[in-house]
Amino acid sequence: MNLTMRELGASLSRNKSMTISLVVTMSVSLLLAALGLLIQEQADRTERYFGDRLQLQVSLCTDTSKAPTCIGGAATDAQKDAVQEALDDNPEVKEYEVRTAQQNYERAQETFGQSETGRKQLEVLSPENFSDSYFVTLNDPEKFDGVTSQVSGMDGVNSVLSLRDLLDSLFIALTNLKWAALGTAVLLILAAVLQVSNTIRMTAHARRREISIMRYVGASSWHIQLPFILESMVAALISAALAAAGIAAFMGFVVYGFLRDKLQITTWVRWQEAFVVMGWTTLLAVALALLPTLLLTRKYLKV
Amino acid sequence: MIRFDHVTKTYSGQKRPALDGLDLEIAKGEFVFLVGASGSGKSTFLRLILREEQPSEGRVFVAGKEINKLSSWKVPKLRRQVGTVFQDFRLLPNRTVNENVAFALQVIGRSRAEIDAVLPETLELVGLEGKGHRLPNELSGGEQQRVAVARAFVNRPKILIADEPTGNLDPATSVGIMKLLDRINRTDTTVVMATHDSSIVDQMRKRVIELDDGRVIRDEARGIYGYQS
Repeated sequence: MNLTMRELGASLSRNKSMTISLVVTMSVSLLLAALGLLIQEQADRTERYFGDRLQLQVSLCTDTSKAPTCIGGAATDAQKDAVQEALDDNPEVKEYEVRTAQQNYERAQETFGQSETGRKQLEVLSPENFSDSYFVTLNDPEKFDGVTSQVSGMDGVNSVLSLRDLLDSLFIALTNLKWAALGTAVLLILAAVLQVSNTIRMTAHARRREISIMRYVGASSWHIQLPFILESMVAALISAALAAAGIAAFMGFVVYGFLRDKLQITTWVRWQEAFVVMGWTTLLAVALALLPTLLLTRKYLKV
Repeated sequence: MIRFDHVTKTYSGQKRPALDGLDLEIAKGEFVFLVGASGSGKSTFLRLILREEQPSEGRVFVAGKEINKLSSWKVPKLRRQVGTVFQDFRLLPNRTVNENVAFALQVIGRSRAEIDAVLPETLELVGLEGKGHRLPNELSGGEQQRVAVARAFVNRPKILIADEPTGNLDPATSVGIMKLLDRINRTDTTVVMATHDSSIVDQMRKRVIELDDGRVIRDEARGIYGYQS
């Protein structure tokens, strides 16, 4: 083991510049892959939060609603029945879900509870400030005008909101960001794999005399390969640590430092999801280093 | 100890075989000179013993095992029983004599204590006592070859293969190396040595196998070099 460690140290210092460039490429590619995964996580989270985004949200009147259809105060049971009847009869409506004021209040807590100012705003609100609402799924999401115009004029209906209008740009932005990050990550990963191969080739060349003696005196192929594998692993683990630090910085400065405070349109990814992503990128780093190393050392160091 | 059974070896892309239907047996404890012109098949013969090459036809037995049937993960174990010495010494220039010899044991996983136990006696056997801390470039050619022999023999192999071990040495130094190989042979180690050095073969009067075009053309128990280059 001493000998292997000595070989590893000698090899790392011999290939210093190559190792540094490998670590830089690998950590940037891992960081981008991690960001891609995190954005995917964010998209899933937003989707879960809003439900099917091809929906209309029909909010009923509360006592404090200002809309002309809310003159009578909170929507009465008769008004609710009329709205439900209209939705039942409309052929464009595929299905709808009722969310109570209490459920809407809980969702608001989830969104606004992400920041200090949001939590302060919540203190003065109670479930009574929220209305019952209907989440309507349409047969054809393009044809929301009919339902909107029919329902929005009814007594007891405060507002009709198309989530598609609200969320489409967010989803498009998330999807584009995700593919940009993952696409660049794939290119950089390819570069990292090629650099791993180059490093092995160079090390095998620099150590060809030792390796030939090792073969002649009967060292096992595992013994010959081990310094190469350890060298790749060291580079991979340093890269994974740097990528994890990058993700931590992103979470700290961007998500917790900005998005959760300033953009309370959805719930944002949390540390626990970031830690899962860090775990995946570490596994990816190990695979990226190990697979080419095992393949190439088999080729170059055949006993 | 070594047996070749109708062994033919043809390298890919070549029409003429390097070894052609070779039948040969070398007993335990024998000292054998392998002579012949360049390209006669000497190196291929040695490479087959080390399982660096596989025969195209026939079977090769080394230390009781049919080595062409050996799975590749067992090859290192075979090589631990076969020490190898080369014309160009192949020492690690940045390691001392002690480290060069110990390297052969370290890479097969021997403990520090085991290595420390066998190192002094091996250096004494090859006549390098007191020179363990020198680097190869501080040694003469003959001494460097002694280090190479020590490295090949430190694991006490059953067979020692020497490929032109005196090729880079002057005649007086060569005699010293031959005495060393003879001493090793007396420990019941089989020695197979490929050489072009006629005076050494003539002096030693050991078994001589002459190859020509991949065939044995002479096999004498107490032979002389004979072959005229």
